[in-house]
Amino acid sequence: MKIAVLLSAGRHPVSGAAVLPRLEAQAIRIAVRLGEAFGVLDGGSAPFGLHAGPDAATVADALGQGLARIEHLVLPEGVDPVPALAEHLAATAPDVILAGRRGQGGGESGIVPYALAAALDRPLIADVVSVAPGDEAGTLRLDQSLGRGALRRVVVRGPVVATVHPDAPASLAYAFGRARRGTIVSLEPTAEPVAGPAIPVEERPYRRRPKIVKGAPAGGSAAERLKAATGESGAAASGRLLVDPAPEEAAREILAYLRRVGVVAPDSTRPNS
Amino acid sequence: MHSFMPLTTVFPGLVWAMAALALVQTARRAALWRVGSAAPVAWLHGLARLPRRYLVDVHHVVARDPYASRMHAVVAGGLLAASLLTALAILPPLAQSRAYWLLVALAFAVTAVGSVLVGARRYPAKQKRLSAGRFQILPFLLLAYAVGGTLTALLLAVGTGGIALPFTLALAAAGGLGLAFEVRQGPMRHAVAGALHLAAHPRPGRFEGRPDTALQPLDLEAPRLGAEMPADFTWNRLLSYDACVSCGRCEIACPAFAAGQPLNPKRLIQDLVAGLNPAEPPYAGNPYPGGREAEGERGPLARLIGPDARIHPDTLWSCTTCRACVEECPMMIEHVDAVVSLRRYQTLERGALPEKAIGPVTELRQSGDAGGRPLPARTDFAAGLDLPLMADRGQADVLLWLGEGAYDLRYGRTLRALVRLLRQANVDFAVLGPEERDTGDLARRLGDEATFQALARENVATLAKYRFARIVTADPHALHALRNEYPAFGGPYTVVHHTAFLLELIRAGRLTPGRLPDLSVTYHDPCYLARYNGETEAPRAVLDAIGLARVEMARSGKRAMCCGGGGGAPVSDIPGERRIPDLRMAQAAETGAGVVAVACPSCTAMLEGVTDRKAEVRDIAELLLQAVEAGR
Repeated sequence: MKIAVLLSAGRHPVSGAAVLPRLEAQAIRIAVRLGEAFGVLDGGSAPFGLHAGPDAATVADALGQGLARIEHLVLPEGVDPVPALAEHLAATAPDVILAGRRGQGGGESGIVPYALAAALDRPLIADVVSVAPGDEAGTLRLDQSLGRGALRRVVVRGPVVATVHPDAPASLAYAFGRARRGTIVSLEPTAEPVAGPAIPVEERPYRRRPKIVKGAPAGGSAAERLKAATGESGAAASGRLLVDPAPEEAAREILAYLRRVGVVAPDSTRPNS
Repeated sequence: MHSFMPLTTVFPGLVWAMAALALVQTARRAALWRVGSAAPVAWLHGLARLPRRYLVDVHHVVARDPYASRMHAVVAGGLLAASLLTALAILPPLAQSRAYWLLVALAFAVTAVGSVLVGARRYPAKQKRLSAGRFQILPFLLLAYAVGGTLTALLLAVGTGGIALPFTLALAAAGGLGLAFEVRQGPMRHAVAGALHLAAHPRPGRFEGRPDTALQPLDLEAPRLGAEMPADFTWNRLLSYDACVSCGRCEIACPAFAAGQPLNPKRLIQDLVAGLNPAEPPYAGNPYPGGREAEGERGPLARLIGPDARIHPDTLWSCTTCRACVEECPMMIEHVDAVVSLRRYQTLERGALPEKAIGPVTELRQSGDAGGRPLPARTDFAAGLDLPLMADRGQADVLLWLGEGAYDLRYGRTLRALVRLLRQANVDFAVLGPEERDTGDLARRLGDEATFQALARENVATLAKYRFARIVTADPHALHALRNEYPAFGGPYTVVHHTAFLLELIRAGRLTPGRLPDLSVTYHDPCYLARYNGETEAPRAVLDAIGLARVEMARSGKRAMCCGGGGGAPVSDIPGERRIPDLRMAQAAETGAGVVAVACPSCTAMLEGVTDRKAEVRDIAELLLQAVEAGR
């Protein structure tokens, strides 16, 4: 069982500092767990990271968060990483390739996993929160997040590309000592360099402007002060307060609410009026 | 007369034999200390200062329990005097003197009285905080030695030994040799290890009148980071753990122990001792709350931390680093340093932070704030106030360090009060604004020294760009890091806590507060201000200046109880039976004061989070602003 984690040079969503994207750190945890399940945590068959780009300094954090080795395909700035990655992955043939489901503010476009799955002719399972060995030998059991806590279990056979959903378990802690011991292997790709698509957008993080806090009461409970400071807008304020309602009425209200937020399917038996 | 002469030699000979046995036992013990790593020790200076450290610094702590202090003075003083005098009787002129033997008998009699005092703490029922085990035998050994010695010396003084003398001598020998034997792994170890520890103390600054409380920087190039096993501690730290006399004062002071979290400082130190010494007798004190029995391997290379090792990780992460145990320890043991060393290994080498602490530490590393909040938002609390930025000014008299509390809605109120007071007093001040990063206090206490050092270097570089005379901060954690821990990273600053600065402004007449006599207030000392920096007077003086009726809690000043907010304990969130802030607010309620005055963002958050509290929690800056406004 060979497990690869695609690592990209992301940016912190708030500070803009060059960091390992959170989803990829979560992917590492999934990879480490899967490695444990297959008993491949040490040596050459341990899960490894793969990065293509000019510099591996940003993704070196991954060494402290669970990976022992990163393979770095050295590419000049602005070159499309997909051909080099596809070539390298075709050669090393990992059974599982894990990636984040989207980019995080760096140079990455977020479609690399899809392009790679196409190039390698592998299935792509999106938004997984866990990967475990299947009951049958040679299969993998993946849990896909459908949002709001709903999961779909998928069993696949053969090599697969999977992208990781934010609902996956939080990343492992960064261990400085481990990062120190990890290795980065620099590789020269043989694929012909192709310029990546230029993306003519500039991204700046949105930041709420501070509110002037005026006349907030000094006493009272924390909840009262919060209400006074933030105003009574928000989801809670739009609700209806029913005092001692009839059970049927209460049930109707609850059902209506559940339909509104999409937990219960819309009422189809009711004739259209 | 023939049997009389040898006995005057045999008796002193017994004391010399005791000394030799104690020396052998010490040497056997010292072989264990030698497995520790090297440490620089100023031996000559330490030994020269030993009497002073013992009689002043140790006594200061011991005397908080007057009974223990008197007991120890009588029994230890008597034991030393009697043994020394007897040992000197090896000289024939002294051995011939009946008056001399009378003096020896007197010294032994004093020891006997002391032995009874020792026994009275343990029989019929031992005090709850004391350990049983071999300590229960101690009064009998002392009594045997003292009574045997008294009778022998008396008989020698009277000169009519006869048939009784061999028996009294045998009694003294049994007690005396027993005591000497106990030097290796029994109660008497504390005497030898304690004395050596005082001379070779890893924080000698404690005895020179300065609060030597900064964590020592870790060399990030070292082959192993932090302590995994006993051999990773320096030898004088191993020695210090051997000094533990199991008195249990630390466990009474420990907030985590009181809250039923799985930490008992005494047990922790004893586990370090037992981890080092495979032959250590079983622990006989109060267990870790939760009743976990120590298990796991022992020996200098034994793994200390783990669910299956002697110390459970939860024990390690329960500590709030409040130093209450260190403050109460009569043997001057540095428990918090031990906890941080062990945490460093867990965090730096194993990445084994508590699950809930991973997020904040990661954010701290990546964005310079534990909440991952935008650095420019730190000044949002002051929207509408004029808050000058250092970047615009380049210099100011006072640099106001805002700290993490600035992001908190509640604490923003305190900082707004402080800013308005500074304006009122026409103080020339500025803030770093978006350039201010977290001091890294949280990361350091949780063992992430790498993140702390990176943040410290960034902050030192930022501060180097500007000219200012002093840093004022309302956050004692930031104060401790900036004042005591940043000098190691090239940043020697004059750092003043806001309470001390406000007091200065009042005394200089730049603030003229009115009086608020209707409020009754009790002041809760922040650990990082009182214990870490010894500042307990300025906040009280400010409260007195505004005419508040001030009452003290039973535990106050340097012996105050922690709010539970330090050392990363709130983010580690180790479950206990009670919550530390609830306990502290209950102590505040006992005073009947309507206001609990605080001087720290962590204390504010912890104490205000207490449900059903009767008292209001207000920072000293808020109270002072109210008084200033009342005075106009």
